[in-house]
Amino acid sequence: MTATTVESSLPPDVPDNKRPFDWRKGIIIVAFCFIPLTLLVVFTYVPFGQMVGFSFYRMKYIGVPHWVGLQNYRQIVTRPDILPSLKLSLYYMAGSVLHISLALYLATILSFRVRCGNLFKGLFFFPYLINGIAVGFIFKFFYTRGFIFDSVLQWCGFSLNSLPYWLKDQSINNWSLVGASVWRYMGQTMILFIGAIMSIDQSLYEAAEIDGANKFQQFLHIILPSIKTILVLNVVLSVTGALSVFEIPFVITTGANGTGSYFVLMDRIAHTNQKVGLASAMAVVLLIVILIFALLQQILFKFLFRNQDDGVKAAKRRDRRAKRQRNRIAAGKAPLLANGRRQKAYSMERGQ
Amino acid sequence: MKNARKLIAVALAGLCFWPLSGCGGNGAADSNGQATKLNYPSIKLGTTGKDIHTKIKLFNHKTDMSVDTYPGKNWKQYVADFNKLYPGISIEIETDTNYAGDALTRLQGKDWGDMMMIPAVDRSDLSTYFLPFGTKEEMSKVIRWSNASEYGGKVYGVPSNGNGLGIVYNKRIFKEAGINENPKTPQEFIQALKAIKEKTKAIPLYTNYAAGWTMAAWDGYIGVNATGDGRYMNQKLLHTKNPFSDPGDDTHAYNVYKILYDAVSDGLTEDDYSTTDWESSKARINRGEIATMVLGAWAVSQCKNAADHPDDIGYMPFPISVKNKQYTVSAGDYAYGINSHVSKTRQEASMIFIKWMTERSGFAKNEGGIPTAQSDKSMPDAYKEFADVHFVEDQPSVKGEEDLFNTLNSDSELAVNSGGNARIQAIVEHASKHDKPYNDLVKDWNSKWNDALKTEGIEAQYDTASK
Repeated sequence: MTATTVESSLPPDVPDNKRPFDWRKGIIIVAFCFIPLTLLVVFTYVPFGQMVGFSFYRMKYIGVPHWVGLQNYRQIVTRPDILPSLKLSLYYMAGSVLHISLALYLATILSFRVRCGNLFKGLFFFPYLINGIAVGFIFKFFYTRGFIFDSVLQWCGFSLNSLPYWLKDQSINNWSLVGASVWRYMGQTMILFIGAIMSIDQSLYEAAEIDGANKFQQFLHIILPSIKTILVLNVVLSVTGALSVFEIPFVITTGANGTGSYFVLMDRIAHTNQKVGLASAMAVVLLIVILIFALLQQILFKFLFRNQDDGVKAAKRRDRRAKRQRNRIAAGKAPLLANGRRQKAYSMERGQ
Repeated sequence: MKNARKLIAVALAGLCFWPLSGCGGNGAADSNGQATKLNYPSIKLGTTGKDIHTKIKLFNHKTDMSVDTYPGKNWKQYVADFNKLYPGISIEIETDTNYAGDALTRLQGKDWGDMMMIPAVDRSDLSTYFLPFGTKEEMSKVIRWSNASEYGGKVYGVPSNGNGLGIVYNKRIFKEAGINENPKTPQEFIQALKAIKEKTKAIPLYTNYAAGWTMAAWDGYIGVNATGDGRYMNQKLLHTKNPFSDPGDDTHAYNVYKILYDAVSDGLTEDDYSTTDWESSKARINRGEIATMVLGAWAVSQCKNAADHPDDIGYMPFPISVKNKQYTVSAGDYAYGINSHVSKTRQEASMIFIKWMTERSGFAKNEGGIPTAQSDKSMPDAYKEFADVHFVEDQPSVKGEEDLFNTLNSDSELAVNSGGNARIQAIVEHASKHDKPYNDLVKDWNSKWNDALKTEGIEAQYDTASK
């Protein structure tokens, strides 16, 4: 069916494409790309390439670097403190499950008509606006023995002696930090979800209600599929965020007492100890780890959403292919700028 | 036409050079940057330069002293006193809250004034900006800490005052615990802490663990305070094998950190180290909720002013004795430097003012620091308990080894005396959890340090373990 539409939409006497490449168009494209590409290359790829280069040297910020080959990478694997610090990310990944589901839940509720909805949105988003250093102070006092958190729990009937030391006890202090992290970033994720939910066509809900779907069914079959992209994005962001968690442990515990994440350790090695080569190698390794995780997620989501496709996708793909074919044929005839002159010439040629 | 163009070109070129020559024509510095032949030691206050009439400016960091409400003597009063002796020299004071950064920026332009407190400039650059006060030999006879801004045998800075290193403590709590004499050895100190825990409600030793940098302060004590040797920190340590081992005579780094380890493992520190708070600790020691804090002398005035009992705050020598003598490292504070690009008269006036500030003004005493002048043997109240303590300056590193300490710190990741927060914090963690004996920590540090020595190919001349 599609094939016939392609045939019929073509002008009957399309000539062979005699100009495979339009130089003027090419120059304009290159000219427009030049500035952003230069910025990207100069400030992202060149420094990154240099960092990869540094990772093969033993060097400080000043002084002569010594080539050591793969020794920095060997150290990352063999040192007892570097790779194990990535385990701390598991805490934050567990935290991100909580934080995304909580954000999704609140976003769904708030995007239906709720009394004082905007107030709640503001309250939930507020922590994200607080300066990171202030967050450090807030949570240090929050978790101090006998202070805010302990008092609240005491009102609920816990006795102070049965409560742990939230930041001192190494078996739970990472959970305390995860709590702070969820508090800080949940609102931001929620706002992203609300934005996505807002863009869903209201008539779908009406239709669903007429069909007798309850709110949960509406969530499952309308909201969830519609915000799939944003959901995946947020999961990707929080997993990479968990792998490279820095701010929360750095400002609350300065990474001491068993809360030094990979990034905090990297900062210490790069700045206090000035081992630039080793720190660069750590950054490269972290990038590889993140890429692996991103890939695993892609596969996972493909698997999870494999039943989502009701034929629309395949149809869209077919349509796109047809469009590409049309464009290829018309390439030489396309107007350079949309002023219609060439279009006119083209129609005149065809004697219309 | 052609000639006219040439003329214009020449005129333009002349115009370009004009301001440059104007700069040099101001009767200012000659090529080597020194206009005056006056030197600091030869100035006799009250006679030298009595006929000078000029106006000079001092750029400095003491913003608190520039307001009339300052509890001590403020800048206006110092200048008024100076003008009684030298009515011809008028002085303008400019202060800055973000001094360390702004001073470096201002230094690049040459018109920042006549005197400033020398910011973090590389030694080799000192002569570019500042006027030498005299040679190293002659200066070391008249001022303390002349090493601090010395380069190529000349001294470019005169410290405004100086300080020693001890322990901030609450005198009332010590008295309540029945401790009448300051502890002089680690054992006596731990005993004192135990007595405080038994007899008072105060926290015997507050670690200030959470702030991090307050922990790194412990590194300051392993030099002169623990060895009595001014060459230890920057020279000997760099050639020492096993520097953290126990020399067996209650000295050296081993016993400095052991005080912390023992205090924590005996429960003589705060209940929850992870939530200690630096800002409130100053008021708490003032009120007697904390007995001791291991910090530099700069903390004394802050603790005094933090609450209502300033007289309870004292400063005691660090409890380590080397052959029955106690030592403390002493170092100069910000040093005055003179702009080498101003006129001769202004340079001389500046030098006279600086000499007056260090010898006659009483500045050091008013600010609770050790006076700069060698002739001044008086100690400020803060150091009353340092009467029998020897003040020793840290010697600078040997020529050719200026970067070695940094390199070894980097290789070993110990960061000794350069932000080694994490290492000292780990002492507290292990002591608190009782999961690693002190000697195992020492073994770790030693092996890291020894490896670094090996990596850099340094031959060890000393070995603390075999002492």
